[in-house]
Amino acid sequence: MSIWLLGRLAQAVMVLAVMSVVVHGLMGLMPGDPIDLMIASDPNLTPADAIRLKTLYGLDQPWGQRYLAWAAQVIQGELGYSRLFAQPVLAVIGPALLNSLTLMLAALVLSLLLAVPLGMVAAQRPGSLIDHAINASAFASASLPTFWLGLMLMLVFAVSLGWLPAGGMQSLGGDGGGLIDGLRHMALPVATLAIAGLGQYARHTRAAMLAEAGQDYIRTARAKGCGPVRIALKHQWRNALLPLITLLGLEFGSLFSGALITETVFGWPGMGKLIADAVMGNDFNLALSALMLATAMTLAGSLLADMAMARLDPRISLR
Amino acid sequence: MRRDLPALIGTLILALLLAATVAAPFVAADPETMNLAAIHAPPSLSHPLGTDELGRDVAARLLHGGRVSLAVALATALLAAFLGTAIGLLAGYHGGRLDALLMRLTDGVMALPLLPLLIVLAALDPAKLGIGPEAQSTEAFTIGRMVVIIALVGWTGAARLVRAQTMTVKARDYVRAATALGATPARIMLRHILPNVASPMVVAATLSVGNIILVESALSFLGLGVQPPMASWGNMLTGAMNVIWSAPLQALWPGLAIFVTVLAFNLAGDGLQRRLDPRKV
Amino acid sequence: MPSLFRLLLTILLLAAPMAAGAREQLAIGLSQFPASLHPNMDSMMAKAYVLGMTNRPMTAFDAKWQLVCMLCERLPTFDNGLAKRETTADGKAGVALTYTLAADAFWGDGIPVTTEDVLFTWDVGRHPQSGVGNAEMYRRILKIEVKDAKTFTLHLDRLTFDYNALNDFQPLPAHLERDRFTPDPATYRNRSLYDHDSTRPGLYNGPYRIAQVVAGSHLVLERNGQWRGTRPDFDRVVVRAVENTPALEAQLLSGGIDMIAGELGLPLEQGLALAKRNDPRFQVIFKSGLVFEHMDVNLDNPALADRRVRQALMYGLDRQGMSRQLFDGRQPVAHTQVNPLDGVHAGDVPTYGPDPAKAAKLLDEAGWTLKGASRRNAKGEVLTVELITTAGNRSRELVSQVIQGQWRALGVDVRLKAEPPRVFFAETVTKRRFAHLALFAWVSAPENVPRTTLHSSQIPSAANNWTGQNYTGYADPRMDALLDAIEVELDKPKRVELWRQLQHLYAQDLPALPLFFRAEAYVLPRALTGMEPTGHQDPSTLWIEHWRWRP
Repeated sequence: MSIWLLGRLAQAVMVLAVMSVVVHGLMGLMPGDPIDLMIASDPNLTPADAIRLKTLYGLDQPWGQRYLAWAAQVIQGELGYSRLFAQPVLAVIGPALLNSLTLMLAALVLSLLLAVPLGMVAAQRPGSLIDHAINASAFASASLPTFWLGLMLMLVFAVSLGWLPAGGMQSLGGDGGGLIDGLRHMALPVATLAIAGLGQYARHTRAAMLAEAGQDYIRTARAKGCGPVRIALKHQWRNALLPLITLLGLEFGSLFSGALITETVFGWPGMGKLIADAVMGNDFNLALSALMLATAMTLAGSLLADMAMARLDPRISLR
Repeated sequence: MRRDLPALIGTLILALLLAATVAAPFVAADPETMNLAAIHAPPSLSHPLGTDELGRDVAARLLHGGRVSLAVALATALLAAFLGTAIGLLAGYHGGRLDALLMRLTDGVMALPLLPLLIVLAALDPAKLGIGPEAQSTEAFTIGRMVVIIALVGWTGAARLVRAQTMTVKARDYVRAATALGATPARIMLRHILPNVASPMVVAATLSVGNIILVESALSFLGLGVQPPMASWGNMLTGAMNVIWSAPLQALWPGLAIFVTVLAFNLAGDGLQRRLDPRKV
Repeated sequence: MPSLFRLLLTILLLAAPMAAGAREQLAIGLSQFPASLHPNMDSMMAKAYVLGMTNRPMTAFDAKWQLVCMLCERLPTFDNGLAKRETTADGKAGVALTYTLAADAFWGDGIPVTTEDVLFTWDVGRHPQSGVGNAEMYRRILKIEVKDAKTFTLHLDRLTFDYNALNDFQPLPAHLERDRFTPDPATYRNRSLYDHDSTRPGLYNGPYRIAQVVAGSHLVLERNGQWRGTRPDFDRVVVRAVENTPALEAQLLSGGIDMIAGELGLPLEQGLALAKRNDPRFQVIFKSGLVFEHMDVNLDNPALADRRVRQALMYGLDRQGMSRQLFDGRQPVAHTQVNPLDGVHAGDVPTYGPDPAKAAKLLDEAGWTLKGASRRNAKGEVLTVELITTAGNRSRELVSQVIQGQWRALGVDVRLKAEPPRVFFAETVTKRRFAHLALFAWVSAPENVPRTTLHSSQIPSAANNWTGQNYTGYADPRMDALLDAIEVELDKPKRVELWRQLQHLYAQDLPALPLFFRAEAYVLPRALTGMEPTGHQDPSTLWIEHWRWRP
């Protein structure tokens, strides 16, 4: 088990290294560099200025050397400065990460709390009216473009009814900053993300429960006289968890990479927006650090999911 | 029969949609004919759904946009499902090093930033790939590029699902028996495992058709989707968003088209899953 | 049951609308967040908008497009004796300018703004490693002579008509920033207090100072206690950034913000729609100014190198109609790159009204004859143009589609392409990679000499590191001579005549196809008065102390 774990960790480090090369290379492949962008917006920049600035930002170096310089710096624990924000990378990522985690976790918990019971109820009587109703709503919730859903919620709850703020993380001015104020600002973006995610969890819960329903051990349990609720909660649920855990492991990384569209619509300064801005602005230090964090967390999520599967399903062994 | 009703409705909607979009060039007005004198016109006999911000027929644009959105979604879903199934089967069945390699590849691709990849692809000069300027402006090229871009990052979910399912099925007795009887790995994968992973794949693939329509609209929202003057539901919806506070109804038609189509795909796929999985009938 | 009750209560509490905030605060919505706050490193509209309230440049153009002193007492001129001609060491015409810093200019920590700050700013600006983008202005200063704590004389290496404009010269507080700069100039850009301790009062000399920065979300500005000028009406100004403009409008409608800046706010069509609803809470001001929407022509293309083809394309467009029908007539048609509001505009330049017959005649003359639905030359090639613009800009998307339709009627095949702005501006346009036409805008200051866009020495190439903005590749000795002459002609009437010749040449030659002067929508609360849109690069916030709240 521990050897297996060590192996997986070693693999993860390898993946991170390879991915950093890929991301660095992709950003390098993107047309234009920061100085080209500066030239476009500043008519007075002379050829000499262009050379001076490219040297200053190390852009005159060949791609390979720039990557090695970055890697050497990171191995020494120095993430460097963000070019866009003129601040240390950690100081920029910190607040954005916290914002994204808050938003994404709240949305994940909310949608699981709603979706799992719905999925289980639906699986109890496949083909019944309630199954169809739950099924249809699960599908419907997953059938809306996020930006449209977000703006529609805004239209109803912020603009027409005036119950909730339309965006931002806190009210501007004296009343801003409290817990209630923060929750009010979270309500619409969390609802948007939760609705968008709810469908798939409900669907997968239901599908997994049904898949287990046909298994021999369920028939055995039923033959032994167990009630349907007891079977569902004690036997089916435990095994139906497996696909759900895979799904959750998959989602783990997204907690750290944020939700670009929802963040954009609600003016929520999280990781999705930060990564997009860093990539677009050719902010190598910032973009690489943020993306490597997201990649590392995706890997961790997949590792955790595999470990949880092994614990829960005796048929799978970790080698 | 009653339990297949939603699936039947979904399939029916899809059939209608497909027929309507295929027939679009023959039945609808030209989607690019402008009339600046009749901007944002209300529905009328000549324009059943009114006109848009350039006085073009909304109904015609919806039908033509549907061709683009549906073609992108179907082609992408097929390509992504094919890639995902192949990778998931190999990883799940063989296990060990190959599994580790493929799954880490999956992890990597999943964490790969969609945006820079799209920009790089958008900025690549298609002429260097031997595609002439005439070919570049064709519908097929635009659609093909979107398909490749989305499929290249979209196969990972399917791969993981198929792998997980393969690992479970592989441990079952009949697969062990087949192995003991000397069946080749390829035969076992195709004859014994593939049918068993088919049903979760159908769920995933049908949900993915819907998802891809949504991804296409999200890309339009970010300014990276299908570009005008070619209509797609995504760019029509994004365009309507700018006037949503003044004319909320402008966003209704493309929004409804996306919603109904995604929903129909999901319902139809759900029904298909029941058919494919005899144990649950 | 009690827990359900509590839950309901919580939901009700959460949903209760907030009491309207008192008027000690003005919340402004912007569509961009300023990434950094250092005044001199690079130029970015969101930063200029915010710093307009907190820092004052030496000079600026006001809403009437007149050059005025912001941080100085008097503009030096030859008439008032504060400007003197001189000859530089290498024998060229130079100028000595004497400025006196405003007596009541103080940094937020009570330290006066002095010549020490001016010298320090110059040191930073011209230091090769400081990372200041536009170092040209600082390099033109040969020497600064300090008279006393407030008065200094600049010696410039050239004499141009706009010799006394120091619009980009934003003094930095030497007493705070010198310790950050001197030890290691190469890392100064990452260590400046503007980005590391943005709320230090001493960094700001305007009516407000930055009190709080919530990255990516909003900035809180509070009164600068040391400001001795006109007292602004609001105790606090909050600037909130919402990039998505429908969401920005939602914040306005739901009361999250009070107004939307015109400089970086709603796209015109959204502003027009808002104005049409006649919401009693808001007033919408449209201001067209020095944002010149046009199509740069790649003159290396053989078909477009023929002036008759370019003129025919202009005659084939109905820009008046577009302006009327797409923009409610708020966005005036441009005939050259000089705005009619500019003092040097010539009213008699030839214009191109919609005239399809003339267009057809010119195309026939140029050898592109109509065969079937398209125009072909003797070799049978179809006249095809590719029009590239920035993806995600709704107005440009609409305009380019209308252009496509109007040119198709002439028999010209038009292909549309949209690229992300990043690719468009960093590569396609700047490196002259567009095949035929590129639709975008220039933003300029009043009486801005278009040297970088029209002079033959400014054509970007690998040899000059792709600097210069003459993306069309326009090279005409007459234009070069006019540009050179205008810059050094100090006599206004003579200069206006040169400008007239320049505009005539431009309108005939059409190195770029002019479209519109973009209008911007300023959405203000009814009670706000005194806010004057400038219509050029200098933001309206430079005069925020004159904004008044009159309910």
